[in-house]
Amino acid sequence: MSVLEVKGLTKSYNGLLAADHIFFTLEEGTATALIGPNGSGKTTTLSMIAGLLKETEGTIKRDFKSGVGFLPQYPHFFPWLTALEFTEMAAKISGVDGKKARQQSVRALEFVGLGSTVNKKTGAFSGGMKQRLGLAQAIVHQPKLLLLDEPVSSLDPTGRREIMNLLKSLQKDTTILYSTHILNDAEEMTDQLLFLKQGKLVEQGSLAEVKSRYAEPKIRLRFETEAAAAAFEERMLWQMRRQRNVIDLPLSENGPTMQQVLEALAHNGNGISGVDRQTASLEEIFHKVVGAK
Amino acid sequence: MNQFGVLLKKEWRENVRNYKLFWIPTVFILLGILEPVTNYFLPQILDSVGNLPEGAVFKFPIPMPEQIIAAIMGQYQFVGLLIIALAYMGTIAGERRSGTATLLYARPLSFSAYFISKWIIASVIALLSVWLGFLAGYYYTYLLFGSVDLMGLVQFMASYSLWILLVVSIVMVSSAMMPNAGLAAAVSLGVIFISQLVDSLLGAYWPVSPMKLPAYAAAWLETAPDLGDFWWSVGVTIVLIALLIVLGIFLSRKRAATTKV
Amino acid sequence: MEEPRLILLLLPVFLIQLGLMIFALVDLIKTPYTNGPKWMWAVIIIVVNIIGPILYFVMGRRNY
Repeated sequence: MSVLEVKGLTKSYNGLLAADHIFFTLEEGTATALIGPNGSGKTTTLSMIAGLLKETEGTIKRDFKSGVGFLPQYPHFFPWLTALEFTEMAAKISGVDGKKARQQSVRALEFVGLGSTVNKKTGAFSGGMKQRLGLAQAIVHQPKLLLLDEPVSSLDPTGRREIMNLLKSLQKDTTILYSTHILNDAEEMTDQLLFLKQGKLVEQGSLAEVKSRYAEPKIRLRFETEAAAAAFEERMLWQMRRQRNVIDLPLSENGPTMQQVLEALAHNGNGISGVDRQTASLEEIFHKVVGAK
Repeated sequence: MNQFGVLLKKEWRENVRNYKLFWIPTVFILLGILEPVTNYFLPQILDSVGNLPEGAVFKFPIPMPEQIIAAIMGQYQFVGLLIIALAYMGTIAGERRSGTATLLYARPLSFSAYFISKWIIASVIALLSVWLGFLAGYYYTYLLFGSVDLMGLVQFMASYSLWILLVVSIVMVSSAMMPNAGLAAAVSLGVIFISQLVDSLLGAYWPVSPMKLPAYAAAWLETAPDLGDFWWSVGVTIVLIALLIVLGIFLSRKRAATTKV
Repeated sequence: MEEPRLILLLLPVFLIQLGLMIFALVDLIKTPYTNGPKWMWAVIIIVVNIIGPILYFVMGRRNY
């Protein structure tokens, strides 16, 4: 069942398109990564779905009544409220009533690891603590859809790991749409990838689909010397790329199979020191799909 | 209704914890006390400065207590309004600019509850400050110059309170409209002072005007203003305040998209 | 005018001024961040009568 359907979503600022006819669907209980370089329209898209920005064109169809949970990249809090006071207020504004608001706030704050600082004023919070509090206020009313704008990019590696683990454990009960430019994160928690470039959705699909589309599998042969590699290159008639002592053989329909390569090596492979089957990393795919022209 | 209560509590906490509840009344009280005290000591101060030519006998007319109370109002009309504008210029504009509003606006927020809760708390604190200031000023005036008619004082304070509500409304609407706190203060003070200036220059042609409310209020201290003009001005002011509140709700919703994400 | 009466009259004014100043200073010490350096605000609060603490509350504190 789809939780959110975005059709032709467009935002223009004085004729400049920050989001340009974007279409996608979020299925219930899935995690979707919105990836693209800075300025590609990730925040604009999330803001429109969160209801902060009015779309210029297009529709956003939500299949639920409760509001979304939204975590901006740099959440700001009223410095004179404590973490618990803020979270409770947030829950109540989202329609959670009295007693439940308090309970859910305490639970959300404990979940993000702020259990010992619930009564501390947020004005004294560090960046990492604010990020955690931001997550707590986003989940406190148990929304069906969670929107996270670069949830971990401002954290150190340890904090990043912890928050990613929290998000993964949330995925069981809620649908998540998050933006990131850190591809390791995207690789870790994603059912769907959306690639944005200059406001346009340029590629989408599951991690496996995108990888198979762009992976360009190849066999990498490593020789002990450059001369050995050059000799092999000269003898074989396949299409290949050699760089010093390393040869890449693309695995394509009219190229050789692994078996053929191994047989060739058995006869002519003097000085071979390694054979590898390689596919492109998400990082390489990212540069290919949305990278600089 | 639930949201309104939650937001009212938030505004109250803000004003208590940012000490607005304490420092704004304190300043008004100080202004209220200083006016009678300086008036009382004015002859002595001038004497000690000693710029008067030798032998010149300069008789100061002793001011009437009513004049002192009206002079306190004169202080509030400039310094007081400045303080109200500075204290509440950022109430909406500042929240949007810093990004604290983002986490509220991403929720199903009622902008009526949002704006009216802010208006109520700011009004309560402004009125409290003005009343405490006049009471402190009245007490000193009573000690140094004698009493004024208490009924007149009450009528004066009630009429002036309506003017203060108008000022608060103008400041709140500016804050909802402008992109930052500084501009909100500039616009609201500009609107108030310029329309007062226009009213004082050309106002002879229209006796009914919200801008004449302070003058009509002060008239209660002496005898009474022209009742017809007074009540019509009160009515126009109430309607204007209501319109400003509607405009403020509209603007805070319309400008919500300018919050920093 | 006798001296004691004068002092009695002005005492509340001084007390309120002092209260405002102490109030602002205590807050300045407690608050983690201000707009501009803390020592500058301390000087303004102490040196500039009445206006100093007001300036601090309006411009020095981070309220939002």
